[in-house]
Amino acid sequence: MIEIRNLSVTYARAAGGEVRAVRGLSLTLNKGELCALAGESGSGKSSALMAMPGLLPAGTKVEGEILLDGVDLLAMSEDALNRLRWRRIAIVPQGAMNSFTPVITVGRHVEEVLRVHLGLTGRAARERMDGLFTSAGLDGTYAGRYPHELSGGEKQRAAIALALACDPDWLLCDEPTTALDVVTQKGIIDELKGLVGSRGLGMLLVSHDLPLAASACTRLLIMKDGELVEEGAPAEIVARPRSEHSSELVNALLRLEREGAP
Amino acid sequence: MILRVEGLTVDFRRQGGRGVVRALDGVAFSLARGESLSVIGESGSGKTTLLRCISAHVAPDAGSVSLFGVDLGGADRSRLVALRQRCALVPQDPYGALPPSLTVLEAVMEPWLLVRGGRREGEARARSLLEELGLGEELLSSKVRLSLSGGQRQRVAVARALILEPELLLCDEPTSMQDASTRGEVLEMLCRRQRAGMSMLFVTHDLFLARRAAARGIVLHRGLLVEEGATGGFLESPRHPYTRALASALPRLSPLIDGSG
Repeated sequence: MIEIRNLSVTYARAAGGEVRAVRGLSLTLNKGELCALAGESGSGKSSALMAMPGLLPAGTKVEGEILLDGVDLLAMSEDALNRLRWRRIAIVPQGAMNSFTPVITVGRHVEEVLRVHLGLTGRAARERMDGLFTSAGLDGTYAGRYPHELSGGEKQRAAIALALACDPDWLLCDEPTTALDVVTQKGIIDELKGLVGSRGLGMLLVSHDLPLAASACTRLLIMKDGELVEEGAPAEIVARPRSEHSSELVNALLRLEREGAP
Repeated sequence: MILRVEGLTVDFRRQGGRGVVRALDGVAFSLARGESLSVIGESGSGKTTLLRCISAHVAPDAGSVSLFGVDLGGADRSRLVALRQRCALVPQDPYGALPPSLTVLEAVMEPWLLVRGGRREGEARARSLLEELGLGEELLSSKVRLSLSGGQRQRVAVARALILEPELLLCDEPTSMQDASTRGEVLEMLCRRQRAGMSMLFVTHDLFLARRAAARGIVLHRGLLVEEGATGGFLESPRHPYTRALASALPRLSPLIDGSG
């Protein structure tokens, strides 16, 4: 279980002053559950996600507790955190599909993670790699391709394969389908749902797209201005939003879905 | 007809001269004055190329575009300049679309100053448009390249396109970077202009937005026009397999509460 208690994230502005991106956030993630965190740009959702593996920029003030099975990650040394990253908590960062090094194959990216974090090389690494690409909906031949030879959707799947390299317990995905066509998007969301079922991992899906987040998850969280304003079953939140913000958002989206032409 | 597109075909040569990619393949449709049309398609469908042909930024390999009764293929430069003043474009990428060194107010006024002149009226129009789009007074004097989000830039680009009161507005995914709450405001503003007589070509991959923006639409897939009809029909009774795939993949909230959809 991951328990976030009273988390605050404060960035120092280059021009001086501070921005408090997350304000007193508390939430729980469970294994075997797909939890989605929705919110508009600037709501603090990516900051909350990146705080978990300790990947916020240096100089960021992080307060509160992030308990992984009872152990506070915020109190951990960098070395200890490094042993958790990839192996227990893996991320698909925002813009993952554009973050591959262009001059090496996607397979080499996976090999590097397997070697550095699990000490796997040679045949053992290659065998594992095939399985990873299959889990992400690609076949093993993709390992030999360069990033530019893949479509956006395929690159995003490769980023998911990479995140699964060390068989993590937790997968945190930041906008994993943004900028992809809706048909491709649906394929990737179905893949992620399948991973929760087949591997029993705990997943956090961060998205600005409320219909996407709500239809993908079993538990929905909505953030606004750094605070959690909704938490519950998606159908419950859509039927009876508690906060004014989510009520306006839900109504605007439902109107768009139901209204006819102008 | 304000716009007539016939047999429009555009080929792009691959880098290194290895063959061509057909971006548009015999696309034909027309638009009456005061009418609007949604153009639905995903990446690679040819929708952006279509807009670039209509705004005379791309010359077709075959077929023709007639804008306000003028065949673009035969129009000289001065004629094209005159036509572009009646037909404005909101480009897809708001980062490349605005002069970065200008302030928000200057960027919106610029077309007015270039075409009509009259600083005082230009500024008044720009302020009114920006206010209608919900961009606060405090942003007006900040530089475009600083402290403006993608969604705010898109709204500035919409204001810039509307300042000359175009007869035809070409919009390329104009709300793609808006949050759900501001998207509705931008659409409502565009619909007000339509009710006042403006025609619009609204390019989007989102069938709900397509229906909100126009009663009639066309669906493009790999350069081909695969379906034409009422935008509501694309959602409720899509005919082409591609339109069906789009409609079924679109995430929605309504099935969560009423089990339909």
